[in-house]
Amino acid sequence: MRDFSSKIASALLCLLSLSVMVWATITWGTELTYTPPFLLGVFSLNFRCDDLARLFIFLFSAVTIAIAIFSPDYLQQYNNIHKGQYWVSFFLLAVSLLLVVVSADAICFLVFWEIMALSSAALVASDHLQKKVRKAALIYLGATRIASAVLCAGFLWMHVLTNSWIFVNWDFSRPSTYWPAFLILTGLCIKAGIWPFHLWLPYAYSAAPSTSSAFMSGFMSKVAMLALVRILVMGHLNSPYVIWTAFVLGCITAFWGVLFALVQNNLKKLIAYSSIENLGLILICIAFSLNASSNKQVLIAHMALVAAIVHCLNHGLFKSLLFLGTGAIEKSAGRLDLEYLGGLAKQMPTTWICMTVACLAACALPPLNGFPGKWLLYQALFQNICVKGAILEKTASVLSICLLSAVGALILSALVKALAVAFLGKARSTNAAEASERSIAMSVALVFLASCCVLSGLFANAMLTSVGSALASSGLPTVRVEVSLPTSFIVITLIGTSLACYFLFLHPVKTRKYVTWDCGYGSLSPKAQVTADSFAQPSARIFRPLLRYHNLSKIDGADRRHFPERIHVETRIISILETKVYAPLLAMVNVSSRSIARLQAGSIHIYLLYVCSTLIILLLLGVAF
Amino acid sequence: MSSIATWSSYLLTVIIFPPLCLGVVRKTKARLQNRVGPAVWQPFFDLHRLTKKRETLSDTMCGVFRLSTVVGLSTTFALAWFIPWVPIKPWSPHADIFTVIYLFALERFFTLLGAMDSGSAFGAFGASRDVTLNLLVEPALCLALVSLSIIANSTDLGAIFSFSHFSTVSLVWFCAGTSIFLTSLAELGRMPVDDPTTHLELTMIHEAMTLEASARNLFLLEFTRMLKLTLFLALSAQCYLRIWAGFATLAPFQQELLVLIGVLLMAIFVGILESLVVKLQWRKVPEFVAYIVTVSLISVFVAMAGNTSL
Repeated sequence: MRDFSSKIASALLCLLSLSVMVWATITWGTELTYTPPFLLGVFSLNFRCDDLARLFIFLFSAVTIAIAIFSPDYLQQYNNIHKGQYWVSFFLLAVSLLLVVVSADAICFLVFWEIMALSSAALVASDHLQKKVRKAALIYLGATRIASAVLCAGFLWMHVLTNSWIFVNWDFSRPSTYWPAFLILTGLCIKAGIWPFHLWLPYAYSAAPSTSSAFMSGFMSKVAMLALVRILVMGHLNSPYVIWTAFVLGCITAFWGVLFALVQNNLKKLIAYSSIENLGLILICIAFSLNASSNKQVLIAHMALVAAIVHCLNHGLFKSLLFLGTGAIEKSAGRLDLEYLGGLAKQMPTTWICMTVACLAACALPPLNGFPGKWLLYQALFQNICVKGAILEKTASVLSICLLSAVGALILSALVKALAVAFLGKARSTNAAEASERSIAMSVALVFLASCCVLSGLFANAMLTSVGSALASSGLPTVRVEVSLPTSFIVITLIGTSLACYFLFLHPVKTRKYVTWDCGYGSLSPKAQVTADSFAQPSARIFRPLLRYHNLSKIDGADRRHFPERIHVETRIISILETKVYAPLLAMVNVSSRSIARLQAGSIHIYLLYVCSTLIILLLLGVAF
Repeated sequence: MSSIATWSSYLLTVIIFPPLCLGVVRKTKARLQNRVGPAVWQPFFDLHRLTKKRETLSDTMCGVFRLSTVVGLSTTFALAWFIPWVPIKPWSPHADIFTVIYLFALERFFTLLGAMDSGSAFGAFGASRDVTLNLLVEPALCLALVSLSIIANSTDLGAIFSFSHFSTVSLVWFCAGTSIFLTSLAELGRMPVDDPTTHLELTMIHEAMTLEASARNLFLLEFTRMLKLTLFLALSAQCYLRIWAGFATLAPFQQELLVLIGVLLMAIFVGILESLVVKLQWRKVPEFVAYIVTVSLISVFVAMAGNTSL
């Protein structure tokens, strides 16, 4: 019965996303504004839907349909999740996100932003009987509170300066608006999980059910980036301080995220960190575009902004696919620690193929959809080196190209590690050995998202032009970008040569099956395989000062070189930010709130004294002024 | 030149040159060790022998292994098709440097998966070291290519290597050529980084990764490796040749001849280097790569200073 209601909810969600998609397709190319006839308190609400918002609505529909199909079967494994609560929060989150995307003034934005924050916190806390989930939800809730506070402050400040709540009227080109711009940037960065505010993200995404992590990472974090574009980019921000802060934060985030992704052993955490990396890349694009437009380099600004939007859309698709893929593994193998998985490719072929597609896309490899955004960012950076300009900016571009290529190589190693340890080799636990594809609906959802990734990769040029035209219709000065990706050429060459190689060399040959080479010792145990830790060790060693990476190994035995009796290996990673910055800060807050708590003595006499003394102080103040 | 002659010369170079390069490297090493050594065309016989053998697969493999060797070779062929590594090509498509770098990454992704498919610790540790090397080397290669693009004002490799106003920036060609050459040593696991000729206890990267491959699979892997070596050597040979300002004024077939001789000379140089240099301890490799990155950075900044239009 309960299952049945889950299915109805999922069908309703599908219907909702299909209908908004159809609506967005029909109204494509027009700009709609709507002001409801009622007021919210004393404020009127303003909605505005342009092509840029419609692009995000398309992303919303794709991600939501996949999650709606995936959810009912996935949720069966959780006995402790209250399905009603889950679906109600999911609907609230979905609707509020849609309304955030189309809201045109600050009040409307904040209202739905808050509903979004609270309902997503409820989703994170779905399985709240576990202590780790409660902790994650609390951290997430704290982060969203701070984000909203900072954002509110920025909005109020802008209202004071411009006397308007409507985003279109906000102009950030005057020096007086630099501080509110900075506040708005900070608020949105906290919500998106930009370094150094990224700490909540791995906690929340790994504790939430995979479906909600997929939605939060695939769509919710992109909405923060869309808000950055809507408010700051379209408000013509030109403060070099804010822009360079954003740029440096983006660079650090991209590198930091991928570095920590490399050393994670939990599949969901690894993907969460890779999500941080991608948001860093998007922030780099936005900051770079702001910088170029403040230097009046319209072409570069446009290229970088298109790169940002395209990467938002593509990252939404492949990241939600990655999270749903982990959900499928979680359901059939029970755990997501890489040390307990292995050999899943044979038992779960659909999940394996879809996850490979997602990883290829996440590594930004050419025919797939992670590539266009990154490629356009590279092109924009390169163009910036080739035009007349300040030497400092050019140096920054050169260093960012350097950083981007290192980040690309690091994410490749992190995702190859995840993919190979989880899916290849032999199973490292009985649960993993008995895993299988459990549900057709889940596979359908995965295949749907994987084909979205492939198609948006193949039609990358069409996507780039439509994003360009959407930005043009949203009131930004645009120019035609003349570079285009040779996608079809790459695909044809690759498929042609692959088929030729296969049929020339491998196809008709008979093969012989034998065990993996074991140096003559006899059958290898699954424990003789590489672990996630040992795979990452050589790379992690290079960055050990940043990661605080320690690797202790102790080998005991009479003749320890040749006949070890006991081998003990321990790897430890300390997040400096968490232990050195946030922990003392939190301790300070705790101490100060404890001392403030002394005021609340619980005695009515003291409270009466407070009331009386407040009155006297107010009276005195009244007399004084 | 007629199109048939172009096609046949290109196909011959692409098929004959990679094994020949390796043969030259081996012959040079043998001569320097006072051995006669196998003939330079020995790699052809080795490859031919591999196609005759019967393939053995591990029963742990899930099928990505065979796919990976095929995709690896086809990506490298596609790259040979893209990159203007020889002056005479039947068709030169737009070879954007960033696409080229990410196509190399595509080849690597599949090679790594293939190495880990059998669940063998040898393959996996080889893969682990390979990704570590690559994350160090990738910025160097990227910056070297970017520096060339800066002087040509285009990210198209075809435009870069047909560019003719370079008299003031010959230092860029030199730095970029050196950087690409050293990158190829690290990327392909050659001497100061890894010794490709020993067996698995000593060879840490490539041999370890191909341990489970046999017969035709091994053929594909080996050929991919040789072709990659040739591509890198040809790119750096062209960079060196372009230091000489007269190179661009030569006829295409003279250029072709010079480039091919240059590649063989580079191969001899690799052989000499491998005989003289000792293998670095694994932990010292990052320092070696740091030098390559420095050369690339110098190259970029010289290019920025030397590009007169900036």
